[in-house]
Amino acid sequence: MSSMREAAPLPSPPPRERRWLPVFAISAVVLAMVSGGHLAADALGRARGSSVAVSTSVEVTPLPGWELGERFADPPGIRLTKGGANLDVITLPFAGGDVDLLAEYVDQVLEPDAEQLQISEAEPVTLASGLSGSRISYVGLFGDVQAPVEGEVTAIVSPSETGVLFDGWSPTGQLRFTLDEIDAMIASTVIA
Amino acid sequence: MASAPVVRPPRRGWGRRTSLFQWRQPAFWLYAVIVCITGVYAIGQQQIFRELSPSGWALSWGLLLLYGLPVFLAIYLLDLYEREPMSLLVGALVWGAVAATVLSGIANEGWGLVVAELGGPVFAAEWTAALTAPMVEETLKGVGVILIYLIARDEMDDVMDGFVYGAMIGLGFTLVEDVFYFIAIFGGTTGGVLAGFYVRVISSGVYGHVLYTGLTGIGIAYFVSRRQEVSLGRRVAVAAGLFAAAVGAHFLWNSPWLNYFPTTVDSLGDWLRIPLGAAIKGVPLLILVVVLVRLAHRRERMWLEAALHSETDTPALRAAELRVLLDPGARRRSRRRMRARAGVSAERLLKRLQREQVNLAMMRTMAHGDDTPDVVRQRALCKSLRDGLLAIPGAAPAGAEPAP
Repeated sequence: MSSMREAAPLPSPPPRERRWLPVFAISAVVLAMVSGGHLAADALGRARGSSVAVSTSVEVTPLPGWELGERFADPPGIRLTKGGANLDVITLPFAGGDVDLLAEYVDQVLEPDAEQLQISEAEPVTLASGLSGSRISYVGLFGDVQAPVEGEVTAIVSPSETGVLFDGWSPTGQLRFTLDEIDAMIASTVIA
Repeated sequence: MASAPVVRPPRRGWGRRTSLFQWRQPAFWLYAVIVCITGVYAIGQQQIFRELSPSGWALSWGLLLLYGLPVFLAIYLLDLYEREPMSLLVGALVWGAVAATVLSGIANEGWGLVVAELGGPVFAAEWTAALTAPMVEETLKGVGVILIYLIARDEMDDVMDGFVYGAMIGLGFTLVEDVFYFIAIFGGTTGGVLAGFYVRVISSGVYGHVLYTGLTGIGIAYFVSRRQEVSLGRRVAVAAGLFAAAVGAHFLWNSPWLNYFPTTVDSLGDWLRIPLGAAIKGVPLLILVVVLVRLAHRRERMWLEAALHSETDTPALRAAELRVLLDPGARRRSRRRMRARAGVSAERLLKRLQREQVNLAMMRTMAHGDDTPDVVRQRALCKSLRDGLLAIPGAAPAGAEPAP
């Protein structure tokens, strides 16, 4: 017994290697980092109930009755809705003028997706901030929806080369009920 | 025997080789899942860039390979005595290029909206890049360093290893980010891509993500490799401090502070102001990282010396050889002299001898005794290499003294 008590103590076992805990922790950090901003921005937008950030440099203030229906990722954008009326606001870096931006939107977005597309001549517009842009009206059949859609596209390019496209649209015949509100929201949009 | 004092014991685990593909490690599977998912998005983004400007896209990658390959080699060769496994280095590069860029893109957008909601668009336009990207990107790149550690814990046994893996992640990140800038911001034309290359690579390529994530990697490696020597509090403080330094340097780079870049580029003077403006923001961090890397090199040298201390003046290693082995510059000079005296084959043999002597040090740190079969075999290999070297006419004066 005595010799056993005097024997050298056993070496301590090697530290247990945790394999799952760090993986869960890393997953949580990645999730929080990637989705936290979007969740916080939505929560802030709802709490403030006023303006909606489209991107870091564009902010739209929905009028009463208009709701944030959807967010687009690439390029960043939002869709505000009120009944059958919609206002899509898309922002992207753009080095050209507002007429070029408008033409690209027609060529790359409207025409590929539309049948029997009719487009008006472009006319100039000016926002409350003093920024100027161009606007067209259109009507056509889009995608699988057989009812014709009418809309109004406004293109603005800020001096810092932020391009903003406003596409207000609704089934034919309904746009006139909300067009004033759409134009008012476009006019009051803040573009840095 | 060598008379140099041995100040530190050889580090444990030095010289082990682990690959990226650790099928039993949950961390490997997390790494693989994230890289696969983000890889689909990253490929789609590159396809869009290629469609937007096929020649600009090809030129971007061509120029960036010219920059990336030497930087990859420089980082790889920084670890003078124990080069990291290639699969882990490539894994780190892929994490930076694919996972970190895609996840950061999504996260930056979300946190940018928070800044815009809180500060308004005018404030956000000026400050979002500084307030979101540093924390988001350094965290997501740092996660890559931690995953590499969890996949191959034995490989991160000193701060230099952390720097190497972090810098590789930073290099991958910067390559993909630069392609984005060349196409989406600089326009994707030949002139735009060349202008982007001048601004982002020639003028400021040495200050960016490679240094930030290298610094974060040093902190993580310090935390995990100094358990036996340093208290938990100090390890946390050093790791957190270096991460904060990386975030702070990135913040300064993105912020309007100390911004001496020209607002428009109209003349030669404006072009010359770009590298000057970059140096004002980037040089302090570069100096900090150079100092830390030199300290890490000194520590690695001490480890090598300690591991080979008892091997000096044996058939495997002469005292004069150890002095040469400890100085990478002297190693290169000795090989050049050998080639001048005895030809290329003698130079190659000397290089092999030096590499096997470093391997002997690694085996000593792994072995549980002085005369394990592996160590004995390695000593014999070193002796036979020296014998072969001395047999080449003209090699003897520079090789070593004759073996006893």
